[in-house]
Amino acid sequence: MKNIIYILIATLVIVSSCKNDDEGTIKTFGNVVLDFKNTINSNGIELTTDSYTNGSNEAYIISELKYIISNVVLIKANGEEFTYPVDRSYFLINEEVLESKKVNLSDISAGQYTKIRFGFGVDQSKYPLNGMANFIPTAEESGMLWSWSAGYKFLKFEGTYTANGAASADFLIHVGSHGTTLDNYKEITLELPSTLTIEESKSPEVAINVDIAKIFDGTNTHSLEVKNSIQVDAEFAPKIAENISTMFTATNVSN
Amino acid sequence: MKLLSYIVIILIGTACSSDKDNYVPIENAKLEFTIPSNFPDPTYDIALNPPTEKGFELGKKLFYDGRLASDGVISCGFCHIQDFAFTHHTHIVSHGVGGALGTRNAQPLHNMAFMKEFTWDGAAIHLDLQPIIPITAEVEMNETFNGILKKLEEQPEYVKLFADAFEDQKINSDNMLKAISQFMIMMISANTKYDKIERNEGSVFTAEEAAGFELFKTKCASCHKGTLFTDQSYRNNGLPIDPLYNDIGRKRVTGLTEDIQKFKVPSLRNIELTFPYMHDGRLKTLDDVLNHYSDGMVDSETLDPMLKDQTGALGIPMTAEEKQQIIAFLKTLTDDDFVNDTRFSEF
Repeated sequence: MKNIIYILIATLVIVSSCKNDDEGTIKTFGNVVLDFKNTINSNGIELTTDSYTNGSNEAYIISELKYIISNVVLIKANGEEFTYPVDRSYFLINEEVLESKKVNLSDISAGQYTKIRFGFGVDQSKYPLNGMANFIPTAEESGMLWSWSAGYKFLKFEGTYTANGAASADFLIHVGSHGTTLDNYKEITLELPSTLTIEESKSPEVAINVDIAKIFDGTNTHSLEVKNSIQVDAEFAPKIAENISTMFTATNVSN
Repeated sequence: MKLLSYIVIILIGTACSSDKDNYVPIENAKLEFTIPSNFPDPTYDIALNPPTEKGFELGKKLFYDGRLASDGVISCGFCHIQDFAFTHHTHIVSHGVGGALGTRNAQPLHNMAFMKEFTWDGAAIHLDLQPIIPITAEVEMNETFNGILKKLEEQPEYVKLFADAFEDQKINSDNMLKAISQFMIMMISANTKYDKIERNEGSVFTAEEAAGFELFKTKCASCHKGTLFTDQSYRNNGLPIDPLYNDIGRKRVTGLTEDIQKFKVPSLRNIELTFPYMHDGRLKTLDDVLNHYSDGMVDSETLDPMLKDQTGALGIPMTAEEKQQIIAFLKTLTDDDFVNDTRFSEF
């Protein structure tokens, strides 16, 4: 009997939830754009041309910079959360592709938000999360899948470097989770510099500065001389992932 | 109660006008997933992907379809042949697209719903994700998900099957992997002589098998544990390194030096059929395997401590007679019903 009541309630909810078209009364929704700006020393990144220097005094040129952002949640001042539908919440940020850096989120519950939370990489503790596998084609096209392992590369960061006037060498940093022992997924919460207002027919933007220099010099310092190829690396990959979790800052909200 | 459910279904059905109004949903019956009484609980969350008639049919079709490979030939079933408990019969390592050779021996497919991690080194932590590896590996099926989805969309048969099998009716990687899992989780092998004895269904061991079982319990069962005959851990069982592959084993997944040359302890069910043996298929017969355990072991940093006694002697001491008894017992783990089950057969 209890079951019947539940089923009836569920049905009523489903029936009534489809009335969004009706004017007023019920919840409204809006959009927001998250604008990921990859920078070093506050300047945009020039792939394959500009040279940067890290904290270990190594000069590096970036040829490829990609990472995965997932599980976006918007948070109100009272702590109330709006979780973006998980099956649509995987994004590949590719420095080379302008559109990829503007993440469009739609159908967000209208309101005032003061914080944003998102994941770096893919949270494999939640496997199988509905729709996670639908990110495979995107990840695969951008070389963000390992073919020997059933998982995603969260960060693909490659280029060349020179240290102490030596000849230039390649560097390659791939960070991801492997198996159950090495979990490099990070959750990042950012305070917004001012309140984000989501309402119908508005398109606010949140600018997120991503300080790429922190990959080398964040909580930990990484020297390419010590290790220039990080792939499945139980020692260095977690340190880089820790650095990554410090590289995001919300710098502007335009409502 | 039934009438009420109908009303509910009608209400839900009419609540949102969908653009697929012309689509008439077909009857897609749930399949019964029965846990054998002598088995542990499954690790696979059946409730999240309950096998259905159509999902299983789709999964089976995908499993045997060469479209999942870049050459249109190498299907999953190419290296996982039912007669041999879904292994690649007599192949030391398997050949994939263009004759490319892999580096490891194809593992049997059975009782997958009860396994925690997959492949020899645990590179897949969920069954739904395991097929990513063989599909995208260059030396196996060498295909992309984009490529496969495009091929499937062109086949009216697949369009219909996906629509019948899944509520959202979509051809996408999530549904594709779920369907393959539905096929694989139904592959339960639990009807061996051993099972019938364990479940008191009237079978009895021969004297030789019974002696073998007693030996097995003291000499093998600490790793090949329980009714699945594996503790699902990763161990180095003292195989000398083959310089051809120089396989680092589980270190590839964890990056940890302590995991070098460790491989997953395989289930021993259907072991009579799944030759050759070991992660690289180097041992041809069960005699070879037991000879390795008694006399063939080499020491290394990560050799499993259980394979070394206090004096430093390596291996598991066994007489020739004991080995034959253990092998007689291992043959009671062969499930003829499973390898002949037409539900899983290609034709």
